[in-house]
Amino acid sequence: MLKVENLVAGYGKVAVLHGVSLDVPAGQLVTLIGSNGAGKTTTLRALSGMIAPASGSIRLGGEEIAGLPSHLITRRGVAHSPEGRRVFPTLPVSDNLLLGAFPRFTGSRPKGDTAADLEKMFDLFPRLRERRAQLAGTLSGGEQQMLAMARALMLNPDLLMLDEPSMGLSPRLVEEVFATIARLKERKITMLLVEQFAAAALQVADFGYVLENGRISTSGPAARLRDDPAVKAAYLGAAH
Amino acid sequence: MQILAQLIASGISVGMIYGVIAFGYQLTFATSKTLNFGQGEALMLGALVGLTTINFLIGHALGTLSAFLIMLPVVLVFGLLQGAVVEFLGVRQAIRTKSEAGWIMATIALGIIFKNVAENVWGHDALRFPSPLPEAALNVGGVRIQPMEIAIVIGAVLLMIAIEIFNRRSIYGKAVVATANDRDAAGLMGIDTRLVITFSYALSSMTAAFAGVLVAPITLTGANMGAALGLKAFAVAIIGGLSSGVGVVVGGLILGIVENLTGYYISTGYKDVPGLLLLLLVLSIKPSGLFGAATIKKV
Repeated sequence: MLKVENLVAGYGKVAVLHGVSLDVPAGQLVTLIGSNGAGKTTTLRALSGMIAPASGSIRLGGEEIAGLPSHLITRRGVAHSPEGRRVFPTLPVSDNLLLGAFPRFTGSRPKGDTAADLEKMFDLFPRLRERRAQLAGTLSGGEQQMLAMARALMLNPDLLMLDEPSMGLSPRLVEEVFATIARLKERKITMLLVEQFAAAALQVADFGYVLENGRISTSGPAARLRDDPAVKAAYLGAAH
Repeated sequence: MQILAQLIASGISVGMIYGVIAFGYQLTFATSKTLNFGQGEALMLGALVGLTTINFLIGHALGTLSAFLIMLPVVLVFGLLQGAVVEFLGVRQAIRTKSEAGWIMATIALGIIFKNVAENVWGHDALRFPSPLPEAALNVGGVRIQPMEIAIVIGAVLLMIAIEIFNRRSIYGKAVVATANDRDAAGLMGIDTRLVITFSYALSSMTAAFAGVLVAPITLTGANMGAALGLKAFAVAIIGGLSSGVGVVVGGLILGIVENLTGYYISTGYKDVPGLLLLLLVLSIKPSGLFGAATIKKV
């Protein structure tokens, strides 16, 4: 599905990623873990076109997408639920969700039944149904996180990228978010999950990459990484 | 009392014109945090293109009212195109390079160019614009109101409501609001935010052109009609708040009425002073404008 090779990217002249390569096979849940500042968010931003990569290749289903602006990458089926949630504060919950399906309304993605999908999102996140008419800016942090995930799903994406869905949430809500991710995985949605909460991410993922100072230091099946002594010591120590 | 009512009544129609132009400033500010300082010239061009069109139609044996109604879509389309040109030539580069002031100079420069072109095409003199409605004033409880003044208020309100409905109901309008909320996040929705900004400039000039043909029948038309209106509407946009639709209408009405009162009770020579004083007052007390609320943002 997604094949990244030697990705170099950053902000201005400062490179954050120094040649990242990773693979997200169709139907799999791949997680990218690492400490603060390792470049996890930058990786996702480069993949979705929010920043232009300096070099390297990003192929989506065989097609090169590196350097395309974000709206064109989204129209090719990549949904990115960004760091900080970035919901549209002055629009109601329902409009936020409909905007997630924007390319479906404009004909650049298969239309399908957007109304039915909206209902599906409300089934997946019942809290959002209660708040459907409320402005997104007035939601709690946890609700905004659910909205950001649901909004990304409204694209009917070929690839769903989630950036720190657990950030700033209470332990109970973190559990809820991961339960949702597990449910999406059952539906065979291809996902790239960026998480600081490495233990939980490796629990739910098929495959994992560890990012260290802008480079992939270790990778492997999630079950193996969970038992890797180095990974354990660096990323799982505090969480277990 | 009668005089006061009269002054307020005629202040309202002028105020609505200020309000519509200021509404146009808001449209581009929302999506791009930039303004078209040639908004007055967009109004002037709209009025002059409207004048040529309506005279052509009247020349082909149409009545003034039907000629006016046929002219309207021509002027609206012209406004859309003119605004898109301004964005393309003057603003796009400044936004791309994140220039703080480039767009200010560029839109002012384009405004001057448009004015020069208009002077060469339509001359320097003020021209009479045929009124689609009877010019005889109606007597409403002792207050004399021109039918065109009523048409201005109705037309201005309808235009703003139409744009508001577009923003709230259509997916494209929602895309505009999303871009105004958070440009990067809007891009992630598959929205071409650069196109949205071009569109908001087009829409902004369209409202100005519309205001131009609304006001032209009760004033005169000419290459110089835009500058003062554009500047006053800018004051209105600041007074009302660059983020509040209600604010610009109220701000426009305040300015229109206060101008009339000053012109009558003090001196026409000081007509422009109170509005500008109000502008200074608002800037020092509530810089976001009387109705400008801080946007709700939770991180």
